[in-house]
Amino acid sequence: MIKKVLIANRGEIAVRIIRACRELGIATVAVYSEADREALHTQLADEAICIGPAPSSESYLRMDRILSATVVSGADAIHPGFGFLSENSKFAELCAKCNITFIGPSAEVMRKMGDKAQARRTMIEAGVPVIPGSKEIITDVEFGKKVAEEITYPVIVKAALGGGGKGMRVAYTPEEFENAFLTAQKEAKMAFGDDTMYMEHFVEHPRHIEFQILADNYGNVVHLGERDCSIQRNHQKMIEESPSAALSDELRAKMGEAAVKAAKAANYTNAGTIEFLLEKNGNFYFMEMNTRIQVEHPVTEWVTALDLVKEQIKIASGLPLSVTQEDIKLTGHAIECRINAENPEKNFRPSPGTITDLYLPGGNGVRIDTAIYSGYTIPPYYDSMIAKLIVHGFSREDAIAKMRSALGEVIIEGVDTNIDYLYEILQHPDYQSGDIDVEFIEKL
Amino acid sequence: MKLGSMFKKTNYISLKNIPDTDRYVRDRRRPEVPEGLLKKCNVCKSAIITEDVKKGYYICPKCHSYFRMHAYRRIEMIADEGSFEEWDKGLSSGNPLKYKGYEEKLEALREKTKLDEAVITGKISINGSEAVVGVCDGRFMMASMGRTVGEKIARAVERATEQKLPVIIFTCSGGARMQEGIVSLMQMAKTSAALKRHSESGQLYISVLTDPTTGGVTASFAMLGDIILAEPNALVGFAGPRVIEQTIGQKLPKGFQRSEFLLEHGFVDRIVEREEQKEVLSKILKLHKKSEREKTKKVETPETEIKNELASAWDRVQISRMKDRPTGEDYIRTLFTDFMEFHGDRYFKDDKAIIGGVARFKGMPVTVIAQAKGGTTKENIERNFGMPSPEGYRKALRLMKQAEKFGRPVICFVDTPGAFCGLEAEERGQGEAIARNLFEMSDMKVPILSIVIGEGGSGGALALAVADEVWMLENSIYSVLSPEGFASILWKDAKRAQEAAGVMKLTSRDLKRLGIIERIIPEPGHLTINNLSEVCGQLTSYMDEFFDRYETMNEEEIKEHRYERFRNM
Repeated sequence: MIKKVLIANRGEIAVRIIRACRELGIATVAVYSEADREALHTQLADEAICIGPAPSSESYLRMDRILSATVVSGADAIHPGFGFLSENSKFAELCAKCNITFIGPSAEVMRKMGDKAQARRTMIEAGVPVIPGSKEIITDVEFGKKVAEEITYPVIVKAALGGGGKGMRVAYTPEEFENAFLTAQKEAKMAFGDDTMYMEHFVEHPRHIEFQILADNYGNVVHLGERDCSIQRNHQKMIEESPSAALSDELRAKMGEAAVKAAKAANYTNAGTIEFLLEKNGNFYFMEMNTRIQVEHPVTEWVTALDLVKEQIKIASGLPLSVTQEDIKLTGHAIECRINAENPEKNFRPSPGTITDLYLPGGNGVRIDTAIYSGYTIPPYYDSMIAKLIVHGFSREDAIAKMRSALGEVIIEGVDTNIDYLYEILQHPDYQSGDIDVEFIEKL
Repeated sequence: MKLGSMFKKTNYISLKNIPDTDRYVRDRRRPEVPEGLLKKCNVCKSAIITEDVKKGYYICPKCHSYFRMHAYRRIEMIADEGSFEEWDKGLSSGNPLKYKGYEEKLEALREKTKLDEAVITGKISINGSEAVVGVCDGRFMMASMGRTVGEKIARAVERATEQKLPVIIFTCSGGARMQEGIVSLMQMAKTSAALKRHSESGQLYISVLTDPTTGGVTASFAMLGDIILAEPNALVGFAGPRVIEQTIGQKLPKGFQRSEFLLEHGFVDRIVEREEQKEVLSKILKLHKKSEREKTKKVETPETEIKNELASAWDRVQISRMKDRPTGEDYIRTLFTDFMEFHGDRYFKDDKAIIGGVARFKGMPVTVIAQAKGGTTKENIERNFGMPSPEGYRKALRLMKQAEKFGRPVICFVDTPGAFCGLEAEERGQGEAIARNLFEMSDMKVPILSIVIGEGGSGGALALAVADEVWMLENSIYSVLSPEGFASILWKDAKRAQEAAGVMKLTSRDLKRLGIIERIIPEPGHLTINNLSEVCGQLTSYMDEFFDRYETMNEEEIKEHRYERFRNM
């Protein structure tokens, strides 16, 4: 087994990893920036090494300093957490060159999955569904119409040089196509001086459904069910749950199988996530693969009774998976809310500052992953997520009730938080009935 | 609450239920950062990954400063793969002063750097164009020039002369090699002499200045390029900055003796980033190869009728000065392809009021020179409202002389209120600069065409218009003085400029009648960048005819024709 791990991260995920290591009897090394001297991860780890000034570009993103800290402290592995260097293939490559175990997939796999076009090609070859799109550029409306039939309506026409929503139109029927295409093309010509277009099937009101997978170094891959992360604002997830209200056992098996196929096609090892868009009619499409542990991993942990961070460390230590697909059963329902220090009334402006009073709920089926404590000063340099509140109930209804109860108990004084905002989402009849998609927040 | 050391640290006990993997233990090697994996940037001090630097043209990925490059890497960077043929490898000329320890030092450096001396020479091809190349390598005694360096360069240049090949030298040097004393000094003369012969044989020499180029190398082959390129921020000078500081007892300003400073002071044609060096060199080489003009089917260009008969001379004066009238730069962009601008007069400064360089007209390389007004007030300030200083005329002459050397026709665009009238201009000899252009242009061996596109202000205009033919845009003007100046000299009243315009005979039609110009180019009602292509369409076919006429003439005939043109005025 790995004997000593350096955690190249901060905040609640660093604390989460330190705890998992401790439980496994592995020594821990924290790295911290000058702004994080008093941070929980700095205090909790067996050793802590300062790696630079507050800005992450000078500390948590400095590969050279993190590698040196690892060597100096005698750690044999690095856990990158999420964000920062976690999906940086160059960093993974450098770790390998320094004989340091990178707890995650290989640099090559990260590179392959990080390149959208290559990831898409890999998935098409493996038979994983991707959003159907035009293979070549389209300049004329008749040809466009033919392609639209092939990729099925509704379709979205986009400018090849596009961006910022310009030169983009959706056509729901063949009757609408000509008008939509020509308008988009005209707009593209005006905005980018170029009217070559391409086209994709338009995924209407999709849900964001992602599958957690675990893969060891010996070709064994299992999926741990899905997470429904449709409640998101500007592509930032806010509430996640498992299982999803939209998946039948049959669909779960089908999507899970696709996720396993995807991981195998990528030669994936360690924990990873396959993101899909799910249409109302049950069609689903591969979006991308996240090659790291994710913020919302606790909901999966609770319904599967697995510790994902420990699994990561075991896989990186060269152990084979201890579970097979048959062993994986989803029990009950788990929901996670991300608590951020921000002000929803002021356009979610971050609200760093000192926490003057703090009360966090507990009790049966309530879990809090956080790095804050009473008197802690949230520095302005990093992400504004300060805690994750996760609940587990017998059913979705039960979990929602538990989450509302727990949210109601949270007291964080001194900074603004989004707790009331989260509470309101949980009250929303559409949320309660499970009728959600990625546009839920936009439509509020 | 301060957490301090409040937490109980765990005593580690390995959990029994997790079996140790033998493989993991066996495969483990002690973590270490292998030597050479990271390096430190001397400028921004940040640690960088060596491999990124190697793949990224030896440029710091963080602060973009340039690292010194090994000679062979440089050749790889610009040469077509496998095209390098090294010459005179292993050439050595010993220890002329019998300086103690010198031979041992050379031997030790050869061992360490795997170079035989501070320069490597040979032949390469760049995107298919052959060239002789010399590359200095600073690792070898700071690429100081001793007899071997001088000899290798002289031999390479001589072979280039024989084989009629261009020469490219990447310079880098601390100067003369002290251990070789006066023999080292003589290498400056030797290399310069070889380059003179190469130049006289009509061949192209490009020097590329890299950090640092100083002393005897700067004062010989580095500064002799027909075209001198430089890498960004390279230190280039004769005396080193420390020596200067000690001598004058002052601190030198920031940026002193850097490439950008040299560009501003007229000694460098262009600063070229490493990423684009191969492309730029290849483009320059191709522009210096003989290349015929594409012959298109001849269409007799009908003499278009001049519509705007009624405009008064004063109207035309005002039209010629309109803010939205296309500038010289616009004409260059519309009429030519592959324009590559070159800078500097090699004496004092680069004058932005004149733009010059090499371009193609229907595939044929030509030298293009334009007096440049700006499109906006800011641009106009930068370009001094199109009023050239002496250094502008000297740059123009330098480029014309090159055109003559390489047999390229010259096309000038005239658009100036007049030569710059100011203290500095007089100090540096405005009159001399203009006179020199008239003198030298009068017997250039290549055809010269001048086109007045706006204002043709006096001697400042004539200095680009001693041509075989002078053409004018319909609403441009060409005169001995501005109408304002004319009125104030003759009538002591600048306000009578309007009246003056009428009597001065400065419009295109007046001048055609007087036999001062050969052709009028008709203009649309309001000429701007938007309808410039109409004018340029016509110009292109007229220019085609011009080249047809002069291609049949030999050098002597061209010179004679131009002499007679002005002799009869």
